[in-house]
Amino acid sequence: MSLPVRELERALSGPVLTCEADLAAYAFDGAHDRARPEAVVLAGGAEDVRRAVAWCAARKVPYVARGAGTNLAGGCVPVKGGVVISLARLNRILSIDTLARCAIVEPGVVNLHLQDAAAPLGLFYAPDPASFKVCTLGGNLGENAGGPRCFKYGTTTNHVRAVEAVMPDGTLERFSLEDPGPEVMSLLVGSEGTLGVITKAWLDLLVVPERVVTILAAFPSLDDAMACVAGIVAAGVSPRVLEAMDRMTVESIEAHIPAGYPKAEAVLLVEVEGSPSESERDLEAVREHCGRHGATGFRVARETPERDRLWEGRRSAYAALARLAPNVSVEDGVVPRDRLPEAARRLRELAREHKVEPALLFHAGDGNLHPNTIYDERDRTQTERVKAAGRDILRLCVELGGSISGEHGIGLEKRAAMAWLFEPEALALFRRVKESFDPLGLANPDKLIPLPGEAPPGPALARSPAPLSDAAVSLVERVREKARSGSPLFVIGTGSKVPGALRREQAEVLTTRPLASVRKLDRANFIVTAEAGITMAELKALLEPEGFFVPLPLVPGTLGGVLATRPWTGIRDCVLSMRILLSDGTVCTVGAPVVKSVAGYDLPRLLLGSWGTLAVVLEATLRLLPRRPDVPNDLPAPRRSAMGPWHRRLKRAFDPAGLLNRWAEGAGV
Amino acid sequence: MSELGRLLTALGERSSYDAASQCSRCGYCEQSCPTYVATGREAFSPRGRNQLVRLMLEGGLSDPASAAEALSTCLLCGACQTVCPAHVPTPDLVLEGRRALRGRGPALLNRMARLMRERPELFRSLLLWGYRFKRWGLADLAARSGLLRLLGLAPLAEMAQQVKDAPSRLLDAELEGRAELGPASEAAWSYFAPCGPRYLLTRVGRATVAVLGALHGRGARSDNPCCGLLSFNYGDLDEARAAARAVIMGFEAAGLPPGTPVVGDCSSCVAFLKSYPQLFLGEPAWRARAEAFAARVKDAVEMLPPERLPRDETLPAATVHDTCRLRHGQGVAAAPRAALKALAGGCREMGRSEHCCGGAGAFAFVHGDLSDELLKAKVAAIADTRARVVAAASTSCLLQLERGLAMYYPECRAAHPTELVAEALARRARTGEAHHHG
Repeated sequence: MSLPVRELERALSGPVLTCEADLAAYAFDGAHDRARPEAVVLAGGAEDVRRAVAWCAARKVPYVARGAGTNLAGGCVPVKGGVVISLARLNRILSIDTLARCAIVEPGVVNLHLQDAAAPLGLFYAPDPASFKVCTLGGNLGENAGGPRCFKYGTTTNHVRAVEAVMPDGTLERFSLEDPGPEVMSLLVGSEGTLGVITKAWLDLLVVPERVVTILAAFPSLDDAMACVAGIVAAGVSPRVLEAMDRMTVESIEAHIPAGYPKAEAVLLVEVEGSPSESERDLEAVREHCGRHGATGFRVARETPERDRLWEGRRSAYAALARLAPNVSVEDGVVPRDRLPEAARRLRELAREHKVEPALLFHAGDGNLHPNTIYDERDRTQTERVKAAGRDILRLCVELGGSISGEHGIGLEKRAAMAWLFEPEALALFRRVKESFDPLGLANPDKLIPLPGEAPPGPALARSPAPLSDAAVSLVERVREKARSGSPLFVIGTGSKVPGALRREQAEVLTTRPLASVRKLDRANFIVTAEAGITMAELKALLEPEGFFVPLPLVPGTLGGVLATRPWTGIRDCVLSMRILLSDGTVCTVGAPVVKSVAGYDLPRLLLGSWGTLAVVLEATLRLLPRRPDVPNDLPAPRRSAMGPWHRRLKRAFDPAGLLNRWAEGAGV
Repeated sequence: MSELGRLLTALGERSSYDAASQCSRCGYCEQSCPTYVATGREAFSPRGRNQLVRLMLEGGLSDPASAAEALSTCLLCGACQTVCPAHVPTPDLVLEGRRALRGRGPALLNRMARLMRERPELFRSLLLWGYRFKRWGLADLAARSGLLRLLGLAPLAEMAQQVKDAPSRLLDAELEGRAELGPASEAAWSYFAPCGPRYLLTRVGRATVAVLGALHGRGARSDNPCCGLLSFNYGDLDEARAAARAVIMGFEAAGLPPGTPVVGDCSSCVAFLKSYPQLFLGEPAWRARAEAFAARVKDAVEMLPPERLPRDETLPAATVHDTCRLRHGQGVAAAPRAALKALAGGCREMGRSEHCCGGAGAFAFVHGDLSDELLKAKVAAIADTRARVVAAASTSCLLQLERGLAMYYPECRAAHPTELVAEALARRARTGEAHHHG
């Protein structure tokens, strides 16, 4: 131990802990791995965080920010030693604005405490991870945490308006959805503390629905239950939660409390909400679908104590397993919703091969599955079997078109598995983004991105990308030619937002407009992949007759143009993934084509508002709705502004030669 | 062997190592832990403490003494055990860790424990002298540098200092000739006098005996020695076992009718009596005797059937502070609330009632600042309910709450539930009489 920590301590209002017991207590989180830091800062405020980060930067000491340390992927483990910056004491709710429905919080506020503060005002905070009674909002932001309610409401990122963060260079910055330019705020959310430390957040609160009805239904098979889920979603019912449990989960719950759950192959727990008439209408729809798919039991609760009783079993699922062995591996993967039964079947086969017996718990509405496996970490071979099964399950999820994390994050445990989901070009881009913000590599190092040369077992990339359209191939080739000669690129859609004079000055204008096809309409999962050159009018005209609605504004220009110029901040809620072209001609996919994925940096949202200065969008995968959404179409022309310092850093990561759309980098149009 | 080595956990009998390893580090305990909430320090959380004990058992700490502060700041309240999915017995594990660090315990404390058990008369007379000094305004002489400390009774001196009104007579004398008490062979209950009501808060003991008599008929006194909790928590296990054996033998020799409950009115002590079998896991014969005894032990709060309690219109707004060793140590939460509802017509819930008040035996003396912080939070929660009386079921809570209320919320008083029942019964008797004569 050679850190001159007393010098650090003098700069801070909070204490710096260095005794062995304290270091040992910060060596772990809720997952398996352990590594001790060399010092722990109990930050007393944002200024402490800033000073601690600046101190680490000056001395090239790695650091990890930590909330409650309930991370399930090793994200809080200080693998390279250094300093743990605990945010547990930054636990004030600074304000709740009931009119604006916005809470301003410090990162150490416990999720439940915000719920408790909002409830008397008739408001609630939507993300509800299983650990909500103890986990902190800072941790939720870092991991982009979810929970049962995110089927309807989305994960943490869908509820953030702005963050204040200490950046790796020791500056305190504020990033808001209202900022012009790329969505740096979206990049920070879910970046697992590798790009900065959030010290304050502006969060959305929602109005508590008038009524919530809880439904428990039993099914003779998981296939029947999932078919029922698909039917409910397709009917346009938007349940608050749609949870499924398999027989083993139900049996372990019943052995533990008993909750009176029916002994069936699958049990669904559904909640509908709204006004009394809306909730009754949705309840009837759910009842009808359950009946149609052979539900053998159907229980309804409208009032709190009865609702709590139906929830009791689901809430005790983890505890029921935790009693059976010292450890429970809580795996987290996502598949397209309609492939859940297949995923469950193949997953059980994989588990059998590894001689482990996972109990399955699903956030069925969004295809998020949690195989929970009990084991004793003191038994090395058993632990290795559980880990190997977990890895195989993640690979399976990717093969089936899903993602390696729906809500827990990547951290340490899934770092290698990132190579199954993302092409080497995407991983390289992630690395460059990390380096652009944190050139010294000190902020939560060795997390989230595979180390150079680190490869997971099996062939890399578990599913190959679909071929590009001919139009896209020609655009890519032209860009590659120009990149070789180092010529600047002027790439637009229809050019509806480009000043005409500017356009006339260009030697060559490349346009995405020929890329105008719908590549894939996944009807079962309400997802579309469309090329960027399709106009909004064309896209809507294609989809709406089929009953699919794109929650994007109907404005002039192309899909790519809307995404790049972000005329409305709400567009971020439907963007799942993008195929992008970099100025050197590289093509890669960022994000994942499922409704819930928190794997990797959120580059799809980062690119919103980037005005084509970072990358060219070739294709975008969007979430569709079964009903016409309330989206504003009459919008003011989007604003362009001068590049800020963080935008410039990102520019170097995406477009090091500075070739792409220089026209858009200057100040206002 | 200065540690237990094996524990009786919610999941069955386990080695201490297995019990510690049952912690999966999920962290669900954190917000239940008053010391973690107050400090935000992982080593001061149940999960952190479990990991430290586990590392000590695995030889994973090169400096085990560095864990001393984390272990000594544990309140042993057990709130973590209640919320833990696997009910990991953190208080027992922390005690194991402390024992491993200190060996056979401080000589002074062992000396006091032996004195209490072997020479109770001398102990009582010393205590009374201490109280006299205190009442004569010589508290410092008696407590800080005085007689008790000179005799090696420092913990007792500290406790004596805490008492607002030192009793002039100890409970044993107070109970002489009480009509509720008769021969053991005919007793409907047996009163086990814990050290708190016996030596400090004699008013609680008097109330309990009166209430048990009124609600359950004539009972008897156990004439028990100290239960041994002091040694279990702060001293030597052999001393604790000796105390437990003495208690069990006394119980067996008393000749109570079958099934007669043994009732104590300090929840810390009662929870420990109920856990006696854990002391004798390696001694089958004693384990069986301890199990037979523990099965009969009841907290006084469990002896207050609401349907037999009088409604007391004069009782002001009341709230319940969950005494840790009642709620978490014995799993009793509904009984005190039901009693207050019957007495006062309602019970106001305070926020985080299940959080420790910071009394926690000797904790208030050893970690004064942390204890004060918890006390302030507790009094604030009480004040938020605007209650005028707060019910608590252990001596340690009552002393701590009285201290805090006097400083920050003097409109409210703290009382053992049996005190409130005794007052209601007395009031009913008076009004009944008045009615009779009128």
